[in-house]
Amino acid sequence: MDSILRRRAAAFVCQSCTRRGLQSRRQLQRGFSSASAQQTGPDIYDVVCVGGGPAGLSLLTALRANPVTSHLRIALVEAQDLSKLRSWKPPPDRFSNRCSSLTPSSALYLEKIGAWHHLDQSRVQPYQEMQVWDGVSDARIEFDWAGSAPSAGQTIAYMTENLNLTSGLLKRLDELGCVSVFDSARVENISLGEQTEKLNLSEWPVVHLSGGKQLFARLLVGADGANSPVRSFAGIEARGWDYGRHGVVATLELEGDGWGDQTKIAYQRFLPTGPVAMLPMPGNYSTLVWSTTPSNAALLKSLSPKDFVALVNAAFRLSPTDLEFMHTQSSGQAEEVSWRLQHTTFDHQRTPQAVTGVQEGTVASFPLKLRHADTYIGERVALVGDAAHTIHPLAGQGLNQGQGDVQSLAKAIEYAVSHGRDLGTSMSLESYVSERYAANHVLLGVCDKLHKLYSVGSGPLVPLRSLGLNAVNALGPLKAFIMNQAAGSGSKLF
Amino acid sequence: MRSSLRLARPLLRRAQPPPPARTSALLLLRPFTTTKPLPSSSVNPSEVSHFNALASTWWDPHGSSRILHLMNPLRHDFITTCLSSSPSSPQYPHRYLDVGCGGGIFAESAARLRTTTSVIGIDPTPNILAVARQHAAKDPALTEEKLRYLSATVETLPEAEREGFDIVTCFEVVEHVDNPAEFLDRCGSFVKPGGWLVLSTIARTWTSWVTTNLVAEDILGIVPKGTHDWNKYINEHELRGHFRSRVGWGAPRVLGVVYVPGLGWKEVPGSEKIGNYFFAVQKVV
Repeated sequence: MDSILRRRAAAFVCQSCTRRGLQSRRQLQRGFSSASAQQTGPDIYDVVCVGGGPAGLSLLTALRANPVTSHLRIALVEAQDLSKLRSWKPPPDRFSNRCSSLTPSSALYLEKIGAWHHLDQSRVQPYQEMQVWDGVSDARIEFDWAGSAPSAGQTIAYMTENLNLTSGLLKRLDELGCVSVFDSARVENISLGEQTEKLNLSEWPVVHLSGGKQLFARLLVGADGANSPVRSFAGIEARGWDYGRHGVVATLELEGDGWGDQTKIAYQRFLPTGPVAMLPMPGNYSTLVWSTTPSNAALLKSLSPKDFVALVNAAFRLSPTDLEFMHTQSSGQAEEVSWRLQHTTFDHQRTPQAVTGVQEGTVASFPLKLRHADTYIGERVALVGDAAHTIHPLAGQGLNQGQGDVQSLAKAIEYAVSHGRDLGTSMSLESYVSERYAANHVLLGVCDKLHKLYSVGSGPLVPLRSLGLNAVNALGPLKAFIMNQAAGSGSKLF
Repeated sequence: MRSSLRLARPLLRRAQPPPPARTSALLLLRPFTTTKPLPSSSVNPSEVSHFNALASTWWDPHGSSRILHLMNPLRHDFITTCLSSSPSSPQYPHRYLDVGCGGGIFAESAARLRTTTSVIGIDPTPNILAVARQHAAKDPALTEEKLRYLSATVETLPEAEREGFDIVTCFEVVEHVDNPAEFLDRCGSFVKPGGWLVLSTIARTWTSWVTTNLVAEDILGIVPKGTHDWNKYINEHELRGHFRSRVGWGAPRVLGVVYVPGLGWKEVPGSEKIGNYFFAVQKVV
């Protein structure tokens, strides 16, 4: 019994790691990537992943957790010092301003690769309802599961800090072991290998690290973000545009734990300057993502906490005209808002609870853009996550797209390994592109169109789009379909 | 007008073979009653020159061998099914002999499997073996120990290399040799007891003539012209008959596969009667 358990655990954790240091292990490894064991030869890896963000860590965890791919020789190259992430233990009443919403299908995948329970669950907040409305016309679409959807109280998504996710993934990866980690490492250059008498590595990418270390890659994975050096090396163009908008983020404290009884609600209001969203975090905390003009973003960042809080409350309650005026004031928004709110009627229950404070040092902003790489693969190169695509944050899909990429790429690698294919060749990787490219493209397009549709402050589009939202609201089955797509649990349409 | 003539020509030229019933009788005669002196080789010289010409595109993922690259994973799935179907199948890891290895599509992939000790690939076409060796040099995992190519036929394979193979494969080969019966007997002799002889080929039917000769070669051009000689195709019942007539082989396993453009190869039970199929027999212990 004991031996069965041990064998099963070994199969799942790592067949090779449990025998680390033993001669048999070394021979096994040499067998697969022959030259690696020789001190003089090139240092050859099956997978070199540049970038230790959510996509990169998730990919390596998936490969290590799968018995079919767990023997692969893997390297992680990360610019930051990972020891900081390993020791990440923030106080329970402080939340980072970089949060993401994880769809149930992303969460399920993290569960499958054994990472989910390594996330600090006290810092994960599921939500079951969405309130989305047009700031100009007030037309609403209520995304709750009641009636039309599979089951009430079902989770739409899980809010958590990106750091909670990456630190959980790193814990799982450390537990699985057998990954050569090069952190605090700068990629100086990526070149191609050379041809010798016996070995022709002229099509193999070589990652040159600061300090002279060279990593030869059967497959080089670019999980290195929107300005991906791996993508540049592969000569893959990323096309798109800047929205001329910034996303302002902040960690907010609310007057209570939210209107929902046992449930939590996400709020998003479309303003002509861009959508403003408040997403629930544990307890009375929420995270803000406010897409707005660069000058508005600059003003928001310059305000006193009191005025900032007032303007956030106003963003969910007052008219676009009022908001526009208050963005011209350099201070004094608090008084202005409290006076104006007395003369504005709105439905308290359908608006987020009042913000009472903002955590110090959490107000920040970043430019919003849309980018899509021409392809996700080259010979011995694959791009995942932001290196492949950058999306408008209004649907909270960016990180989930990356997890979808990882799931598909890990599957392609597994298939290649189990059928003796060279996992770095485009033949092995093409299923990844065909599975993910069109799906990502549709999502990028939908979010882009939504952004553009709601950027219009007046004119014939406003009643039309309101009609659209109201009509969707009335149509149960259609709404259920949209929500299932948002939760990533719907039928695979794309 | 000219293009319709071009299409009509192969139609006329190739539509000449007698109806299938008679052909199969003829073909059965061909292997078993050789009137001319026993050939020193099963290899047909014109086939060799044809494949020499193909060498450069063998590993182009979008080239003329793409369809074979796509088929390759199914070969492994089929072998796995065969091995697990019999308790007397050899234990892992395995030694492979790949007869007619070509550019090494299957040989390389078999050598990369963790369940493989070694693979020997043999082929009589020198240019193609050069391509195979050059390509294998691009993967450090394919050491000399794991994968070797020999310029040889089943007749000229050195004595020292002839025995003890767990799996002997000849994929898309029997339709290119002159004397399939003798060829198969020789391949079979390299298999160790409990081991498997695995092959794939194309059934000789009107459908396979239309798809492999007319459509694939002449109309779509996805397979180079002259790759297939429909008269040499062998039907599944002929292979069954061959191994039934020999001592020491178990009941064959057969799987029909169909190429669906845009979707790739699909396993279609029953299609072995119509087109491409895998065929395997286990040597009794």
